[in-house]
Amino acid sequence: MRIERSLRGWAALLIAAVGLGSCSSGSGVSDKKQFFVAFSQANNAEPYRAAQNALMARLFDQYPDVKLVISDAQQDNSRQVAQVETFIRQKPDLLIVAPNERAALTAVMGQATEAKIPVICLERDILQPNYTTYVHSDNVAIGRLAGQFIADQLQKKYGKPQGNVVAMRGLLGVEGEINRAAGAKEVFDRNPRIKLVAEPVADWIQARAKDRMTEVLRAQPVIDAVYGHNDPMAVGAYLAAKELGRDKEMIFIGVDGLGGAAGGIKKVMDGILAATFVYPLCVEKAVEIGNRILRERQFQPEKEYVIAPAMVTPENAADFYRKLTVPGE
Amino acid sequence: MISAGKAIPVRKAIVPARGSSLIALGAIVLLAILISPTASDGSRIFLQIGNLTDILRQISLIGIISLAMTYVILTGGIDLSVGSVLALSTALTAMGLTRAWQGSAYSAHVFYAIAAAVAASTIAGALNGVVIATLGIQPFVVTLASMIGVRGLAKWLSGNANIDIGFGQDVAAAFASVFREKAIVIGSYVLLAAAFWLVLSRTVFGRHVRAIGDNEKAAQYAGLPIRRTKIRVYSLSGLLSGFAGVLYAAENHQGNPNAGVAYELDAIAAVVIGGTRLSGGKGSISGTVIGTLIMGVLTNLLRLNNVDSNVEMMIKAVIIVLAVAVQRESNAD
Repeated sequence: MRIERSLRGWAALLIAAVGLGSCSSGSGVSDKKQFFVAFSQANNAEPYRAAQNALMARLFDQYPDVKLVISDAQQDNSRQVAQVETFIRQKPDLLIVAPNERAALTAVMGQATEAKIPVICLERDILQPNYTTYVHSDNVAIGRLAGQFIADQLQKKYGKPQGNVVAMRGLLGVEGEINRAAGAKEVFDRNPRIKLVAEPVADWIQARAKDRMTEVLRAQPVIDAVYGHNDPMAVGAYLAAKELGRDKEMIFIGVDGLGGAAGGIKKVMDGILAATFVYPLCVEKAVEIGNRILRERQFQPEKEYVIAPAMVTPENAADFYRKLTVPGE
Repeated sequence: MISAGKAIPVRKAIVPARGSSLIALGAIVLLAILISPTASDGSRIFLQIGNLTDILRQISLIGIISLAMTYVILTGGIDLSVGSVLALSTALTAMGLTRAWQGSAYSAHVFYAIAAAVAASTIAGALNGVVIATLGIQPFVVTLASMIGVRGLAKWLSGNANIDIGFGQDVAAAFASVFREKAIVIGSYVLLAAAFWLVLSRTVFGRHVRAIGDNEKAAQYAGLPIRRTKIRVYSLSGLLSGFAGVLYAAENHQGNPNAGVAYELDAIAAVVIGGTRLSGGKGSISGTVIGTLIMGVLTNLLRLNNVDSNVEMMIKAVIIVLAVAVQRESNAD
């Protein structure tokens, strides 16, 4: 009796699951005419990552013979290793990995290259060159651009590069945070009259940046510029200053430069940020190289492609907005 | 907790629960075989040895943690700190390998690092147990506090940064290359599962664990060592989480103070799917192993068929509720 009942329950489950399976197996990987491209994404939660996914889906959509599958590791190394392992079993024609962290993904990406699967390492690097090619940008260069922009603005304001700067820092220990800070620091060190008066840590999060900036505003009577290591933190700092009626006193600079209504470029157009620096999604290049790997037998990609960062100011923000806003976002 | 007056023969009630989760596992494996995509040689990818061992390796960490979690839940408790303890252990393992005991022989060095990490984890678990057993604060609250506190400790010790275990020729790299081997990871899980099954079903301690969760008052009147049993159970939970942390450090080549977030939920889900009652008293290690396998095979099945990861989460939610519902039904008569 009992077994019968539980059987009935599981039979219902089975039917439901088969229904599900048949939805997805219509586009199975065994179909020879199709290219199967697997993209292992570190997480889908950050806007930057979501923008990468959207752009990649849109670009590969132009090729009807390419089937793209994106997996979300939810910021968990073990989960991403497992997902890449499963992809390796499926023998994709191309594997793109945006590693959650360097060390954790190194070995499993080595397994992929050993299995003769072309691997594109996207944006974050790993400990050993276990990839066919590595497409990335340069956070130190972004830091330098941001630092120089601030120095130029202070030059305009006071006639010489001097003033008080607040750096709003991301999650400590992360490559992006370290290098975005280091690049700007190089410029500030060359201009000793530019003072870093506070370096609060807000873990990339806007709400936290607003709280930290409120404290800084209470403590610092004069602030000329806020350098947010990402746009949401720069916006959080702006909101704090606005609340205390001090938003006209200083300029706000961010990094990331995402398109879309919620992105940093829109904030430049709205006059909230003085500038943002586009940390490139790196996706366009990855798709271009990926397609050549799929279609051109003789093609040998470079080991590394560095995508240059771009500065967005009110003058060119509208252009960037059109270019970097993914429809349907 | 069931009332004392309603005497349900324990054995009779457990067997069908396990039976139905075994049927569930069978159904999911069958489904996985049926809808598995095929490799270029026409074989089913799901059935490849490599894929099957992938599944076992991927479930091993949660599997190991959920063994002790079964004991904890059987006593009517819960341990939310396992993910944080795992993180602490990864950090201590990596620090021990890269920053301490320089100059000692490789095998001794590896032993010290692992022993230190596992010992610290066991102490963390024991502290949970002591506070729960002596102060009588609810396990949920105590382990929630240690989940926060131990995470803080792990981050503080490591200075918020990952501690790298490189790929060089040093002892740390040697450690990683051994302890990330599938055979070691899966073998550890199998041995630990066997040990925990034996202890629960064949020893006095195992009987005490069940009795306390079934009816703590009755166990108290019967003169069972409630305090000691609880402290031991939480210590075991710390120990296994610590050992899982050692394996995590090897697999991911790093000590990571941010590792293991939400692992407690995966472990609890595995225990519950395996038919262990969340209020304690009833359940089994074999059920938990089956529950862990169900989640592992299901994950693999969905990924091999490229089911959207958001849909994956929704399906898992349904499976968890269904699994428990079916078992309740088969327990009802």
